[in-house]
Amino acid sequence: MRFFIRPDAASASAHVANYIVDRINHFAPTPEHPFVLGLPTGSTPLGVYKALVEKYKAGEVSFENVVTFNMDEYIGIPRDHPESYHSFMWKHFFSHVNIHPSNVNILNGNAPNLEAECVEYEAKIRAAGGIDLFLAGMGEDGHIAFNEPGSSLASRTRVKTLAYGTILANSRFFGDDIDKVPKMALTVGVQTVLEAREVVVMALGARKALALQRCVEQGVNHMWTLSALQLHPHSMIVCDEDATLELQVKTVKYFKEIEQVARAEGFEQILPSKVRTGPATVPTTIVTDEFPEPTIRSPQPTTSRLLRATPATEYPVRSRSPSPDFVPRHLRVASDAEYTISSRSPSPDLVPDRMASRMDDPALLRRWTPNPEQQQLQQSLHSSSKRTSLRA
Amino acid sequence: MPSRIRSASPRHNGITKLTNCRLLRGDELVWDDVWVSSVTGTIIRSQSAFYDELIMPDEVVDLGGRIVSPGFIECQLNGAYGFNFSTDADDMAQYAKQLRDLNKKLAQTGVTSYIPTVTSQASQLYKKVLPYLGPSGASRRAHDGAESLGAHVEGPFLNPSKNGVHNPSILRVASSFSDLEDMYGAANITPSSFSSSASEPPDSASSSGSIPVKMITAAPELGAMTSLIPALAARGIIVSIGHSEATYEEASAAVSAGATMITHLFNAMRPLHHRNPGIFGVLGVPEPQQQPPQSQQPQQHRRRPYFGLIADGIHLHPATVKIAWHAHPAGLILVTDAMHMVGLPDGRYPWTNGEGEHFIVKRGNVLELEGTGGTIAGSSTTLIECVNNFLHWTGASIPQALRTVTATPAAMLGVQTRKGCLDAGADADLVVLSERQVLREGEKDGAGEAAGMARTELVVDEVWKFGVRIFERGRA
Repeated sequence: MRFFIRPDAASASAHVANYIVDRINHFAPTPEHPFVLGLPTGSTPLGVYKALVEKYKAGEVSFENVVTFNMDEYIGIPRDHPESYHSFMWKHFFSHVNIHPSNVNILNGNAPNLEAECVEYEAKIRAAGGIDLFLAGMGEDGHIAFNEPGSSLASRTRVKTLAYGTILANSRFFGDDIDKVPKMALTVGVQTVLEAREVVVMALGARKALALQRCVEQGVNHMWTLSALQLHPHSMIVCDEDATLELQVKTVKYFKEIEQVARAEGFEQILPSKVRTGPATVPTTIVTDEFPEPTIRSPQPTTSRLLRATPATEYPVRSRSPSPDFVPRHLRVASDAEYTISSRSPSPDLVPDRMASRMDDPALLRRWTPNPEQQQLQQSLHSSSKRTSLRA
Repeated sequence: MPSRIRSASPRHNGITKLTNCRLLRGDELVWDDVWVSSVTGTIIRSQSAFYDELIMPDEVVDLGGRIVSPGFIECQLNGAYGFNFSTDADDMAQYAKQLRDLNKKLAQTGVTSYIPTVTSQASQLYKKVLPYLGPSGASRRAHDGAESLGAHVEGPFLNPSKNGVHNPSILRVASSFSDLEDMYGAANITPSSFSSSASEPPDSASSSGSIPVKMITAAPELGAMTSLIPALAARGIIVSIGHSEATYEEASAAVSAGATMITHLFNAMRPLHHRNPGIFGVLGVPEPQQQPPQSQQPQQHRRRPYFGLIADGIHLHPATVKIAWHAHPAGLILVTDAMHMVGLPDGRYPWTNGEGEHFIVKRGNVLELEGTGGTIAGSSTTLIECVNNFLHWTGASIPQALRTVTATPAAMLGVQTRKGCLDAGADADLVVLSERQVLREGEKDGAGEAAGMARTELVVDEVWKFGVRIFERGRA
């Protein structure tokens, strides 16, 4: 986990906006190979959107080949309602940049079949090649999107009922009339977010301090759904000083020092090349019941085993370092054999044998076998199963 | 400098996005974008276009922080650029051509729609010219320029003692509706599909489209005029009180009967007297919402009328303008009452009021009828000059001042959903304005500016009609 602490909300937002712009520009998206960006709503990312719009207007970035997926949307309010997330995105971001409407994806809270809408949304993310960077805010209770406390960490896009506290808090946007507040929402799942190749989370303000502490210093816990971020291979948290209030001084110092040292060494904490440029092929989610044995040579991520799915495509069933793409061709043959996943061979049936049968002395066998039929069978098996038995 | 950013979409959908501008919304200037379509000629709901139709604008225009106002609506214009609407032309083809020329030039002053005014004339002139002056926006051709919303007949049912420059000998008294039909031509004031038994309140949008006359100025105290007001209102015609000796009571009765406008308040009417406030007094009537809810009076007849003010600096004293504004801010409509000499050099111009040849002398912005010793004969000001005067005299905010030539006249004419606003669905008639700091007269040494004495003036930079830019200042 990369963790950046900035003095205030403005500089934290600027950091995230700069990071996203760098990522897009380095990615050099094309129509065939677009950059896929996951986007949040709410007050936290407002500064980022503002900065992104400014950078677009200054000509520093183009969203022409950027595909976006939004995290969530209310169910049952008109799409053009001022509080809908469609309106939010239009007002704060899409109307100001050159993103093409056909590249914009937001869950439809008025779909006739909400379940089908969710399934289709996941399919759309896959079809777009998976999400390259998922930007997210953090809730006061550590939620990500509408995955409120208790949401499954393996969840996918689905219909979610809002907590009463959330409904109450939202009523200020609906004329203080609780009956007008949507009670349900469509949201991507925790697993959907974790499948992004990179996740960038923002936490701004003292109100987020407790949630940040739970998600960073404590264990993975479905009561603080964002803590699942600890399982992600390329996550990043950006916060302001106020949000660190509940963290240990040690934690804060550690991450600040890491950043300082990295900068002094000229070694920014960047992603592997393959993640940064994105895959050329469409990734597939691999769900498997069998996992290869981890070894010292190829340690396995625990994520995939815990969640029974791989988090992201370039991080499939093992970690590679360095990437084979960057291994010189003349070395590759040898190393390929090393990297080959040898699925565990099926164990042979257990054949009871005697210690004496393992000795290459037929005289021993003969002498200790009382039953002649048994003796004959043993002798016929001997030649075929000896080697296997030895290994087992 | 404002410039085109780029062409966004290879497909051409005729949509332009105006960005980096302040939009006139109610009493505020709001930083927002506005999307206009040259295909439909309307302002479009950008969010729906984006999400539903997957549309991006063809062109993005950066206005560099300037103000975008709805196109101005002029409610009293007698002519301009040498062409008088009240012209008894022998060749009506020539009349139509001059009218088209006027529309194109008028649009360059920011006036995108107006109601051409015909003064008191003999009946045959009304019958001749009114068919040419009716609503002209149906073609929706941007380059036709300013659009007529229907004609305004100022007379001849006026009080001879408040004639102004109208010829007293042709003023008439109406005793029945047929007198009106005889004067203007029945087809000009009664829609062909109109049924006199219709008891529904007038729906101006549907019933007025087919008749040329939109507004009649009349003196309600004469003949049976007050009793004829409901019949006119039922046809979607606005009845305006003007050139009148009406007392407070008579004016109130006219308002109760359905008159919704006062033609150039203070001019050509009794002055305010504290014991008989006259026509001006109806602005002092409490609004219905200030009445107790159990009030038995029907609400629509208790509304205070709208009123036109000629803020050219000649017709009215600045203090008078300010008093009127404070009396009823939501009713104030700035008008020019400009004559056909507007836009022409100073000089002596022939003019007819239905009888004989007269001459009007133009000296700067002052027009006087020759040989009368100083009777004001309309003005030769432009609407933007009136707005700037109004800003200067009243201390109104820019949105408040622009409202008097946009939203308020649109509401008076019953076209508030398609004119005078920047809401989605309204016609994309826009004026782009820049602000200019001007020193007050006599303080040109710079000290005034340092002391904050400079005042803001609005300048018409661009005019858009039906989603197309038809005028840009400094460009031919």
